[in-house]
Amino acid sequence: MELRYHVGADGLYLFFDGELDEYSASFVREKVDALIFQHLTLSKVVFDLGGLSFMDSTGVGVILGRYKKYAKFLRFYIRNPSPAVSRVLGMGGIYDMIPLCG
Amino acid sequence: MENHMKITISALSENEAFARSAVAAFCIPLKPTVDEINEIKTAVSEAVTNAIVHAYRGGEGEIILTAWYDTSGVLHMEIIDQGKGIPSVEEAMQPFFTTGAEEERSGMGFTIMRSFTDGLEVLSTPGEGTVVRMQKRIGTAAGDVK
Repeated sequence: MELRYHVGADGLYLFFDGELDEYSASFVREKVDALIFQHLTLSKVVFDLGGLSFMDSTGVGVILGRYKKYAKFLRFYIRNPSPAVSRVLGMGGIYDMIPLCG
Repeated sequence: MENHMKITISALSENEAFARSAVAAFCIPLKPTVDEINEIKTAVSEAVTNAIVHAYRGGEGEIILTAWYDTSGVLHMEIIDQGKGIPSVEEAMQPFFTTGAEEERSGMGFTIMRSFTDGLEVLSTPGEGTVVRMQKRIGTAAGDVK
């Protein structure tokens, strides 16, 4: 699991590459928290999941955890989930809290 | 034709990808669709994760993963642990129920297993272990007669 990031004019873009499961969860959690902390002046965070080839409910927990932690300060968006990943996100209720963006 | 496999793995999250891939590869002769492969991998991942995270509480243990099928085209899977067990399976299977809220757990594991398969059965004895059984009809879109 690799996590790249890009600081755009309007926000922090996080690119997930690989598989998000229990094994990669703590790495992703720590790295996302560190990147958000380093870029607190930005008001928007986009999870680009285009490179995510697998995600189970552990990934839902990680994403939801970030949202709960920072939702007061930041707006979150999800971009480019595969159909399989999107289905797991939907079942976890993520889209009630984090919208899809183009 | 009958076919079966049995794998024993350490209860380490490192082995989750292996477990998913093993079952997915094993059912290839049933000609699963891409969606069915994703569903099987996710269901297996959920069950194995439960064993690692909850049954053994992240400590040492072994998980037995078995799968089999016959000419009916139904894939059977079992994930067995000898961990702490589930006091109330009915409670545990409620959507969003989790004993791991502190660890950011979503409580969606059993819901996903049930949604992605055609049958889910959980047997557990506290202090002894848990068996998760799933069945899934494979290759319904293939149209092939085996």
